Amino acid sequence: MSAESDMEYSDNDGDDYDYYGGQDDCDMETVDRSKADPEYFVFSCLKVEEVEKLLNESIELLSNSLHITPSLAKVILHAYEWNAQEIINKYKENSNEVLMYSHVKPRVPSVQVYSSIKVCAICATSPPIHKYSALACGHYFCNECWTTHFEVQIMQGVSNNIQCMAQECEVLAPEDFVLSHVTNPTLRERYQQFMFKDHVKSHPELRFCPGPNCQWIYHAVAREGARRVECLGCELLTCFTCGAPHHAPTDCATIRKWLTKCADDSETANYISAHTKDCPKCQICIEKNGGCNHMQCGACRYDFCWVCLGDWKSHGSEYYECSRYKEDPNLINDNQHAQAREALKKYLHYYERWENHARSLKLEEQTLACLKTRINRKVMAGEGTWIDWQYLWDSARLLKRCRYTLQYTYPFAYYMEVGPRKELFEYQQAQLEAEIENLSWKVERAETTHRGDLENQMDIAEKRRTTLLKDFLEFNTTNASSSKV
Amino acid sequence: MANIAAKRIKREFKEVMKSEEVADGTLKLELVNNSWTELKGQIAGPSETPYEGGKFILEIKVPETYPFNPPKIRFLTRIWHPNVSSVTGAICLDILKDQWAAALTLRTVLLSIQALLSAAEPNDPQDAVVAKQYRENIELFHLTAQHWTNVYAGGPNVILDFVQKVQMLTDMGVDENQARVALSTFDWELERATEQLFS
Repeated sequence: MSAESDMEYSDNDGDDYDYYGGQDDCDMETVDRSKADPEYFVFSCLKVEEVEKLLNESIELLSNSLHITPSLAKVILHAYEWNAQEIINKYKENSNEVLMYSHVKPRVPSVQVYSSIKVCAICATSPPIHKYSALACGHYFCNECWTTHFEVQIMQGVSNNIQCMAQECEVLAPEDFVLSHVTNPTLRERYQQFMFKDHVKSHPELRFCPGPNCQWIYHAVAREGARRVECLGCELLTCFTCGAPHHAPTDCATIRKWLTKCADDSETANYISAHTKDCPKCQICIEKNGGCNHMQCGACRYDFCWVCLGDWKSHGSEYYECSRYKEDPNLINDNQHAQAREALKKYLHYYERWENHARSLKLEEQTLACLKTRINRKVMAGEGTWIDWQYLWDSARLLKRCRYTLQYTYPFAYYMEVGPRKELFEYQQAQLEAEIENLSWKVERAETTHRGDLENQMDIAEKRRTTLLKDFLEFNTTNASSSKV
Repeated sequence: MANIAAKRIKREFKEVMKSEEVADGTLKLELVNNSWTELKGQIAGPSETPYEGGKFILEIKVPETYPFNPPKIRFLTRIWHPNVSSVTGAICLDILKDQWAAALTLRTVLLSIQALLSAAEPNDPQDAVVAKQYRENIELFHLTAQHWTNVYAGGPNVILDFVQKVQMLTDMGVDENQARVALSTFDWELERATEQLFS
């Protein structure tokens, strides 16, 4: 999908979608920004009732055009991922196949005859014949057993996929059948809640906001790649495609790999990096267990300095020489151990930066909160109006957005193959980093910074950010084969 | 215990007792207590399998919500089989989990477990070590399973080589069961088993 086609949407719905919570912008600016924003993605943030309405429209459409009950329509829609049009077309071709595929009808019908039932196979009692019921498969059981079956299933969190009680029967119980047997109000409510959750999860155009206790639901047309959606309630940024935190310019598969890697490796890696070094002579991994920096390798008996890894003999009085930073000149070492450490070093390089920006981002939240109280105080004291101080607020929000993108450039760079493209990326990343730190400095000292100066810095940082995204966001680039598996 | 559960178990108990499998000795079922919540089952190792001639005892626990939830069943007799844990006796069988249907009975379940002994499912293993041996060295797997059947389930086939190796380790002070598990795990290579036991 090209960037141009994204922008066609923005003319229609641009003002509905205001990213990063900049609700104070006027409509004109928002439209302009969405055109300039390479991450632009059309979505809406819906409440539970709105989603229910949306689902009900599909259910009604299907039940009207196929002349079936809404309950059956739900079962079929759930099986076909809510593609009502596809169901209607397939139903016209072969209605039986649709009903069997969605487990409404059995592939093999039961041979049991209703009038000949004497004993319920489940509870072994013999209630009067009108107290039996069955699904489309014709497996008759007594109503009391159906009730218990549904209650047990609902207690276990099953809603859409409650099967018939017969052996090897896959027919599913539709909502009206379940509710006609379950009378306990708490369980009925639970059943309907689970059902709704299941429906949202099976619907490709819907996604729950992953924020804790957040009730909002995103609605968008699913597409490939990192697609940013922002919650109206908790302001969390999420990728609509994969449900992870929003991660442009990194793609969905890469971020998953990165997050798993971080979860798996960081503990060990952190320990190794903090407490061990390789012996400069024999490359064996050494753990420091005392305070003294004069080390003797247990394997090769080499005496060296823990701080600079230089020979201890030449140290003597000039110990503090080693606090100066020197590049390691002979990095290329075929030793397998050294290679493993190099890989770890590379990972840690990216991980530390990733972590650091994540931490800064949290602090930036605090700055934002502080700033709000500071502006309020100024306004109350008669030092200008909120509009006068608006630029400060905007700058802090922009800073947050830039830092967010910057954080997610690190997993991208980690998995990039060495080459001119990576060089370009890291160049742009460095530029962005520098401008963000400038901006951060100025935002923290906002009162003493000239307004024009600050606004200029905002513009520079945001331009750096969008340029990087335009050049490297996978659906903006045709040759996006830059990250390796 | 819920009324339905007790009623069902009583009926199923009778059904098993009257069945031809009990008559010909392939199945056995007895009560452990008077509350019908725990039973003990026994299945005969199917013929033409390494389990032939063995009698395998099963622990059957009936949940409160039976038959709407499956009974909890595990092997009390130790067995070398890809879908049964060689340590705990836990069984990996779909009808004891998500494919359970309330219409299934103890008799059908016991027969399904017996069928599992004739047709292992190594791609859905409960015991990864056993499953690996089953896939990579089926002959050795057969011998090991026969040996376990002989030792734990009263099977007729004595595998002398294995008995001697276990004896060598017990002479060194290793617990017999531990020695057998280690040797079975390391394809009866004495050296690797010893190394693992003493590391």
